Amino acid sequence: MSVISLRNVTKVYQLGDNTVHALRGVSLDIEEGEFVAITGPSGSGKSTMMHILGCLDQPTSGTYLLNGKDVSSLPSEELAAVRNKQIGFVFQGFNLLPRTSAVENVELPLLYCRPLLPAQTRREMAMKALASMGLANRSDHHPNQLSGGQQQRVAIARALVNQPSLILADEPTGNLDTKTSIEVMRLLQELREKSGITIVLITHEPDIAAYGSRIISVRDGVIISDKPNEPRKDFEVEEFEPLLATGS
Amino acid sequence: MSSLRTLCDLAFTAVRRNRVQSSLAVLGVMIGVGALVTSLALGRGAQQALNEQLLAAGVNMIVVTAGNYQTQRRQRGDVDASNISDHASLPPPKSWAEQVALTLPQELRSGLRSAVYRPEDERLFSLLRRALQDGGLPSGLLDVHFEDDPMELHDHPTAKERLGDTLAGLGAAATLTLADAEAIRAIPGVQTAASGVHENARITRADDQSKQWLTRMHGTEAGLPTIRRGWTFPYGRFLNEREVAGSEQVMVLGKVAAERLYGAGVNPVGQTILLWNQEFKVVGVVDSASWAVQPVTGDDQFDAFYVPVTTVHRLLNLSKLNTITVTTVNAGGTGEIAKVITALLRERHGITEQMPDDFTVRTQAEQVLSKGLSPELALTVGGNLARMEEITMEQISASLQRANRTMLALLGGVAMISLIVGGIGVMNLQLLSVTQRTREVGLRMAMGARKRDIAAQFVSEATMISLAGGVLGLLAGLFASSMLEGVLQWSTTISPLTMVLALVVAAALGIIAGVYPAQRAAGLDPIGALRFE
Repeated sequence: MSVISLRNVTKVYQLGDNTVHALRGVSLDIEEGEFVAITGPSGSGKSTMMHILGCLDQPTSGTYLLNGKDVSSLPSEELAAVRNKQIGFVFQGFNLLPRTSAVENVELPLLYCRPLLPAQTRREMAMKALASMGLANRSDHHPNQLSGGQQQRVAIARALVNQPSLILADEPTGNLDTKTSIEVMRLLQELREKSGITIVLITHEPDIAAYGSRIISVRDGVIISDKPNEPRKDFEVEEFEPLLATGS
Repeated sequence: MSSLRTLCDLAFTAVRRNRVQSSLAVLGVMIGVGALVTSLALGRGAQQALNEQLLAAGVNMIVVTAGNYQTQRRQRGDVDASNISDHASLPPPKSWAEQVALTLPQELRSGLRSAVYRPEDERLFSLLRRALQDGGLPSGLLDVHFEDDPMELHDHPTAKERLGDTLAGLGAAATLTLADAEAIRAIPGVQTAASGVHENARITRADDQSKQWLTRMHGTEAGLPTIRRGWTFPYGRFLNEREVAGSEQVMVLGKVAAERLYGAGVNPVGQTILLWNQEFKVVGVVDSASWAVQPVTGDDQFDAFYVPVTTVHRLLNLSKLNTITVTTVNAGGTGEIAKVITALLRERHGITEQMPDDFTVRTQAEQVLSKGLSPELALTVGGNLARMEEITMEQISASLQRANRTMLALLGGVAMISLIVGGIGVMNLQLLSVTQRTREVGLRMAMGARKRDIAAQFVSEATMISLAGGVLGLLAGLFASSMLEGVLQWSTTISPLTMVLALVVAAALGIIAGVYPAQRAAGLDPIGALRFE
């Protein structure tokens, strides 16, 4: 069963007098364990695709099956539950809460998980996720006390804490320098190799897309190419230590 | 429960993250709640003080006096006492005078007037006794009224000597008895009835006979302090039931009298005082509890002393009372109860329909209004007071209550306005916070927060700020009230209900102020919110 299955998905916006066809019939299957990079210039519809894949938005027509379940017309409450349980988001610019410790940031999705877990369990799960990102000793640091790479790793830990089936990374390297970007991409690759989680990466940079196992190019609301890719492994910086804690 | 706790944690974290603005919003609510608590405290305090003052002023007081002022004034002129058939000119007491008048021989008739007022008229007494033995008079009447038998030898002044002219007037008539007081006490709606015998008397320190003071003597009962609500006892206590029942020789000194005999600041309790050459033990000193009433020389309450009425009766061989002071349970009930007392006493004294009272029942209002007037004017006032007495004090009471309510409403209004301003402060902070935290809202939504989770978060934040303001405002109000009471001597009362009310109001304010911003936050589109810069 595919993790993601889109069939003839369209999305039409009304922007003032203009009707914008953001997606014009997209069909797509993503299997478990894939690392898909969706790429395209701005205005191509890749962000809209990301929003629909992330259940933040719903298609105008067509169907979207997430883990076999049709989510294309769920009410917003159920959609929220789907996002909470099945999708982990990694945003551009980290989107960590300021003046809030790393572990509290990681706990955030657990606060909206019904039924609510006991506070102690939530804290333990968050600590475990942080530890898996190698940040156990940074748990009480606030975002402004962490480097960009560390912040993004907190964000990834947050995406992972609820054990979702899908990680959606929206331009995760947008605000990072090259070295840190590579570090983050390597982290995602390791994550996929170790835990077999499905990752969908949205980026406009071909360099970054090259880290995926499959590259989908979008333009004018349609997929123009969809081909497997040998994931780029040439980490330019040599002195990397293993980022992921072993056995996690 | 744990979800509520999470909500609180969440709210607390958010409030903490925005310390300065949150503190200002808390301050706003604090001022509002503080104003509310203070105004409630003042309002209730004023209410209570007002009630106490009204009761202390005797709004619920009725004084029954022996004799009848009005008829006596008329009779005092040149009315021929022998013209007995003229009811209006009858001298008091009339209860039996009217009855015996027609049956008595003419010589007795002409002497009747003096018989009433000059008990030393031996000849008349013997005639009356005879009449009584012949069954012409209701039995017991003479026992009650002929308290000063001139044949009796006294080693203390007789009533005649003490009172001088037997025509002394109001209160001198010997028509009220302890049994009357007892009967009045049994009327429903009567709180207490204290019998009183009032004289002027000289008291002397037993240990230093040069210290003397001529002052007012009140023979009374143990219940008097219940009536005199404005009393306090700097030393000792008032007479107790046992002392009154046993007609013990004990005395409570008014503050002025105590100072005259013993000097200021000296505790005279346990000292011995001579009255009519009898030894009395001092058991207490009475002073005014109200700053409005200060003991001065010559006043009736504190330049005075109090002894058991039974002791006065025993020592002076009396059975009469000058007054019976009655208080009613409700301040508004005096008019009605006064009527009941009048009817009761008329019946007890055997007064028939055409006969005037041989006593006077007056409410405090009448007493206040006719005070210091010339007898004729007082008569007019008294005559016209028939209805007025019932309403005057009640009206005064009601209008004071109204004034108090107006003040309370005014203070409450000010408090309400500051509360509203405080609420606007909280709402403003929350609206600002929604704008500032749009990305956070988007993030939370992406993480699975439902609209109501977001709304609950903002409402609970507003409530927490408002409640913090409520708690601080309550403390501020308590402090302000105690300052007002301590420094300005304003009376304030803070009930537990006020405290609960303050917190409930604060919480409600937070919820109301939080709803609109919360709706705005919950209505955000997650995608737009996430991209918001």
